[in-house]
Order: sequence, then C-alpha cells, then structure tokens
Amino acid sequence: MKSYPAPLSKSDLMSVESPARYVGGEFNAVIKEDMMEELEKTGKTSYVRFAFCFPDIYEIGMSNLALQILYHVLNESAFVACERAFSPWFDMDKILREKDILLYSQETKTPLCDFDILGFTLGYEMCYTNVLQMMDLGKIPLLAKDRDEDDPIICCGGPCAYNVEPMADFFDIAMMGEGEEMILELCEKIHEYKQSKDTDHPMTRAELLRNCDAIEGIYVPSLYEVSYHGGALVRPVDDGVKPVIKKRIISDLDTCTYPTAPVVSNLRVVHDRSYLEVFRGCIRGCRFCQAGFIYRPVREKSVDVLCEQGRLLEKNTGYDEMGLLSLATSDYTHFPELAENLLSTFEGHHTSLSLPSLRLDSFSLDLMEKVQSTRKSGLTFAPEAGTQRLRDVINKNIKEEDIFSALRLAFMGGWSTVKLYFMLGLPTETDEDVLGIADLAKRIEKLYYDVGRETGRKMRKLEITVSTSLFIPKPFTPFQWEPQNTKEELIRKQHLLKDNMRSRNIRYAWHDFDSSVWEVVLARGDRRLGPVLLEGYRAGHFFDAWDDHFHLSDWEEILNRHGMTIDEFAREFSEEETLPWDHVSVGVSKKFLLSERHKAHEEKTTPSCREHCSGCGAASFGVGECFAKREVKADAAE
Amino acid sequence: MLQSEREKMMTLQPHQKAYVQRACFSREGATVYLGHLDLMTCFERAARRAELPILYSQGYNPRPMMVFALPLGVGIESRSDYLDVSLEVPYDPVLFTEEMNRCLPEGLQILRSKQIPEPKDSIMSIVTTATYRFEATGIREAMNDAMKRETLIVTKIAKGKEKQTDIRPLLLSIKKDGGEDPDAVEFFASAGSEKNVRPDLILSSLSLYCGMDKETADSARVIRTGLFSGKYPKILPIDETPIRKFEDFTN
Repeated sequence: MKSYPAPLSKSDLMSVESPARYVGGEFNAVIKEDMMEELEKTGKTSYVRFAFCFPDIYEIGMSNLALQILYHVLNESAFVACERAFSPWFDMDKILREKDILLYSQETKTPLCDFDILGFTLGYEMCYTNVLQMMDLGKIPLLAKDRDEDDPIICCGGPCAYNVEPMADFFDIAMMGEGEEMILELCEKIHEYKQSKDTDHPMTRAELLRNCDAIEGIYVPSLYEVSYHGGALVRPVDDGVKPVIKKRIISDLDTCTYPTAPVVSNLRVVHDRSYLEVFRGCIRGCRFCQAGFIYRPVREKSVDVLCEQGRLLEKNTGYDEMGLLSLATSDYTHFPELAENLLSTFEGHHTSLSLPSLRLDSFSLDLMEKVQSTRKSGLTFAPEAGTQRLRDVINKNIKEEDIFSALRLAFMGGWSTVKLYFMLGLPTETDEDVLGIADLAKRIEKLYYDVGRETGRKMRKLEITVSTSLFIPKPFTPFQWEPQNTKEELIRKQHLLKDNMRSRNIRYAWHDFDSSVWEVVLARGDRRLGPVLLEGYRAGHFFDAWDDHFHLSDWEEILNRHGMTIDEFAREFSEEETLPWDHVSVGVSKKFLLSERHKAHEEKTTPSCREHCSGCGAASFGVGECFAKREVKADAAE
Repeated sequence: MLQSEREKMMTLQPHQKAYVQRACFSREGATVYLGHLDLMTCFERAARRAELPILYSQGYNPRPMMVFALPLGVGIESRSDYLDVSLEVPYDPVLFTEEMNRCLPEGLQILRSKQIPEPKDSIMSIVTTATYRFEATGIREAMNDAMKRETLIVTKIAKGKEKQTDIRPLLLSIKKDGGEDPDAVEFFASAGSEKNVRPDLILSSLSLYCGMDKETADSARVIRTGLFSGKYPKILPIDETPIRKFEDFTN
C-alpha cells in the first residue's frame, strides 16, 4: 500500500506530545487507491470525499463507536471515500498555524478544505469550540453563510445535534438520530451535486441544501428563521421546508452493517478495546438521562448475530479486551447466554470481556469473577440520589435492598472496592437527600464489617469512592424545564456532603462545577449563542472539555457582552413557552415528557418499558421492545 | 511496563516448552513515531490477528511471550531489529513471516525469521552494539569531528532529573564501507542493557560541539541498521550469533 506522509518535518513531529496521533497508518484504515490514482492523473474524482471529524484529540476520537460505525458504512459504499480527522492538541495547533499548514486527514493527508463534506460528531457540548478550531485550521469559512460552492458541506450528528441551535450558524446540515442510512442518502445528494458541476446546469449550494431537506432526519438550519421574544420560535422559511424534523432510527440492528474490522490505533487510546454494541435504547426512563429518551425505542441484536460479530471483532482487531456496549448491559434479554457464548469463543485466547453498566446480582458477580483479568477490582453502583424519595423523583429504579443484598454477596466473595455515583442538584433535592448519600456510604461501610464478623474472616481494607456529578437539565428529558442550582448552592451542598462523610474508608471525588455551569448554557441554548462561541474561539478558547483549559469567567464575560446571562439558560423554563428545540422530534412526545415531569414532582415512578408501556410515543417507529410486546399480546388475544 | 520488568517476568515463569521464532524486522513510515510500548502492542496485536499459537506469560495479567532485542525510541527507523516470539508448537519461519506481515500495520515488516532452540540467554542480554545511519546536511563531517574529541558531555534527563553524561566512549567507530556521502554517515555505537547511547543524544552533541545547527540535527533521519552481539570489534549480527540452548542448562 502506498503511504502518505504527514506534511510536517520530522523535527516538528518530534517536538509534540504523542506524534503518532498525527501520522495515520493504522491497521484496517481504508484508502481508496483508485480514487488517489484518479486524483493524481486528472486532479478530480467522482468519489464523494467525506472527512469524519472528531472534535477532540485522537486518543478520545479513536475510542468512539460512532466514528467506527460510520467510517465503515461510508467506505463500504461504492461512491464514497471516508477519511478521519481529529483536533490537534495545542502544541500541534501552534505548529500548523505558524507554518501555515492546513489540518489534514489521517489517511491521505488531504487538507480538510479539499473534501466534499465534513461530518462532525457532537458527543458533548464542550467540544463545540473544537469544531471551530478544526474548520479554521482546515481553512474553511466558519459561518455557513460565508461558504460557497467551492467549500465543503459541513454537517454534524450525535446526541448534541438534536439541539444544534447554538452551533446552527456554523453547520449546513445536522443529522438527527442514527446515521447508518441517513448519511448515505445525504452522500447521494452530494454525489448528484458534484456530478452536476461538470454539466451545463450545475446545482447551487442552496439547491443542494433544499434537496437535503427532503431527507427525513436532516435539518438545514439556514432554512429556518428564528425569533426569541417570549420563548423561542424556530420555523421554516417557507412551505417547502419540513416544519418538524423527526429523528431517524435503524429498524433492524441484526441486518444493519456493523464494523467487525474497525480501525485499530497504533497508539494506545482511552478505551483500548473492541466494541460490541448489544442494543440501542433503554427500557428504564431515568428522568434526568437524555440518552434514555433520545435513543428510544429499545432494539436488541440477536445472540447469534452478536456472537458472530464478537468472533470477527476479536480476530480482525487483535485486541485482548472486548467491551459490551449499551446503556444497561444487564437489561439485554439474553445476557447470560451471550456472555457465556462469548466467553467460550474466547477460551484460551487470553481475551477478556469488559462489562460496563452491569446491574449487580448473583449472576453478574459470578460473571465478573470469570471475566476480570485483574481480580476483585471495583464494584460500581449508580444510585444517583441519596434517598429513596429522590430516587423515585428521578425514576432511578434501584432499591436500597437490591444494593445491599448485592453488596453482601460481593463482600462475602472477597470484594473490597466500591464505587458509588451520585448527582447533586437534582430537582426537589433537599439537604436531607444530600446527607442521604453520606448515610448510604456509611451503612455500606458498616455492612462490610458486619460481613467480616459474621464470616469470621480477616477483611482487607475497604475502599468506598463516592463521586458526585452535577445535574444538568437536558433537552428531550422530563427535566428539560427544570432549573439548575446556582454554583453557590452546589458548592454549599458539596461541603455539606464532604463534612458529613468523613471516614478513612470513604473517598469523595467531585466533578468540576464550572464546566457544568457552562454545559447547561450550551445544552439548552439557542442561536443567540453562535456569536458568543465564535468570539470565544477567536479569543483562543478551545478544548473546553479539558478542565485545565476551560475558563468559565471568560465565557461568562463574553456572554454578558452579548446581552445574555447564564441564568437565562439555567432558569426554570415555563411549561407554556416554546423551547428552542421544539421543532425537533425524537419520537417521545412533549406531552409525555410533561406528564413525567409532573409525576416526578409527585414522587411517583414509571415502570420500565418491559413491564408496561407508558405511551411515550416511541412506538410510532413501529419496532423495538414496546412494539414486540404488543405483538405478543395481540397474538395471545387471538 | 519497563523493559527490565518485562524481562524478569518473561524468565521467571514456571517453564513450558517453547518454540522460538527469532525474527528480524524493519520499521518505517507512520510507525516510526510510536514509542516502544506502543510498538510492542502493535506486534502483539498482529500476532493475535494472525492467530499464531503464541505462548503467554503466567500470572494475573498474561502477556504474549515476545521479547524485543533493544527498545526502539520514537523517531528512529529500523532496517534490522529483532524479536523472539515463543510459540506453543514448531512453526515454519516462512509462514510465520507471511502471517505476521499480513497482520502488521503499514511500516512494520518482518524481513525474515528462523526457528531457534529455546535460548538460555534472553535476546536482550546478548545485544552489545548497534549501527546507526544518520542523514542530514553535512553530518559526515560533524560526526568525524565528534570521533576526534576526547569527551562529548550531554545532558540527559533520567527519572525527571537532569544528568551530565559523557557519550564519547559509547561511540565506537565510523563504518568504513559506508560510502563518502557528506550528508550521511553510518557508525557503530554501544547498545544494550549494559552500555547504551540514544541517537538523540548523539545528535544533540553534534549540535553542541561539532558545528551542526540544532534544527538540522533535530531533523536528521535516524535509521538503526544493525544489532550485534559480542565484544566490539569482535561482533556478530544477532541472527548469526550462536545460541546457548536452554535445555543444556536445565539438568
């Protein structure tokens, strides 16, 4: 295979941290050689050149499953050539600017401006400024309105694309929902656009964008006008544009293509393992959790398909660890069968299974004993709230009895490290709820020594880690209207907890406040934030997802200069006002979210989708858990 | 894991019969920018993709039994480095080479391999000397100058501390058959676990004492062209070095 060296001198590469980030050459990376030959000969190609852009460093981007899935889908198609690009760290950013070298793709080192389309994945709000950094370093005009027929189409997808309003000025297109089918439909439109350039009637960029609006799930921000007087209003510029953008999903995950030969980084990355995606969606419906609502309905892959994909993944990557990926692995209907099947496939290969998001019970404890290479590492629980009352409010369906019976089993089995995850600042939270966290930790501590006394065993030192993150009201959840606590209030609660949880066995870890304060602005923001983000970026702010490089006071100052305050975004939203994201449908109705909010304040829980259909609206997709249940019921009725 | 810890781990395990492939490999292109730990991981994953019957170390965290003759630092190309791979069964070296090459990332290549009796001496312990080729404008003259000096004191950072060290005794000789290209030079230097000199320190001495500018020295292309055993100048390429069989020492 021909190699494409980075456009940098050796001394430049040697002067930065982890130069291997910038040189490509990974196993399973795809280069379409026929395209490169065509380009070399004629300077043109009929391929749609797609740059999949990850707005954070290489090691994080290469751990992202969406990147691997869409890279595979795009390169599988006969008319698209997809390459990857990542945010260069500050050291490399400086070199690229000083030497006027354009940010380039990993595979063929092509400058970003030479691609037909750039696709950014927006996994978290704090990466927005890195989108601007990458476009800027790729010499692409940042504002969509400044780009013309010579510039690439700039699109995005991922969880933050559902409320892309703060970034609407910069993107030509946002993709709502699962991308496997939509992204190819989009590329077909771009293919037509590209082919028309050589005809007598070349399509304009505006025409292309109109054509793209016809694809379900695709949002073209420039085709909507906005007003923000007493609530947000985003509406189509004319009748030719769809008024509501409905997210896309994949109906059948078994037949949907999945990357069983993903790109394997040469450099060790954040999650250095292969991924087997088990199902999408979540049956639970925790009211704070955006993922729990935007990925509905639950759709599982079959055991047979998963085992075959697992076998291929192990063989094609050489990774010695495979992670089962989903929002709650234990909720997979055939979990025991799957786990045992994979373990027997890996027998003698020294491959381990990584099982995040497991609900602890005797089965999972047994399984963890079997799969963990380093024995007796931590047990993880996410009660999220300290009292049953507050857990009912957030619909976190974990009962204290379950935690304690699982822990008793675990402690008897010799485990001695427990991690507990909570949120501070949840709706209706009182000091009693905060102190409930300390109380829970202390009672777990007591249980450990009780088990020691009962069994007469010498126990190792117990380590309990209590972590708190901060509640952030997110769009498309029942808590989308809720206010966020002020920073002062959060700090007070944190101290309250800290002062009441002193023990040599308990360690308290907390999340940075500043970034949570800003995250709510971006998460619930609207188009008025575009100029704020642009000014912040121009002032040198990016890598905001990295706490050391995030400066809340600077951002707040810029926000204020543009006539807005943080409180405008952190306040309680009125149930009557139109929300900035109301023109987007994730399939869960606003009415349902509202009723869930009301139930939360009444401290009433909602059963899981598997127990009972609560009528959220996701059944309209005609597939998945809720739908399967109905079919069974209908059959039984006959 | 440190190379030394790895060595300890590899040799202290309860013994199992191993069929060792001694493979010579090269590295160029993108993989030149990998650190040694990442490089080892690349070979481990390639061997796993090739589904070779690799032996694993024992213990909590079993690792494939692969031992590299000498760490290859970031930025150094190689035309002849070595590793020993322990397999469960005898394996045809040509097939081993083909299978590995099918599964290695671009830039890493096994040039040849041979099955050797299980060695008593770790491949790491027999390396004494390496040859390097430096390519940069005017580097032959600078290197000739370096060889004429009594001392070459450079600053080395070890365990977070700066340390002054004289690398002159570690530069052995300029290779005679290396041609007369003024912009390239090949030479012998001490290498291995006892005495070792890093190429970047040699380059920094050239810019400190021998009239090369720093940018040129920093941009020099560095290629490791050979690894040898034995006491200089009586040295032998690693794959021509006689092997003391492990089994001769077990009884």
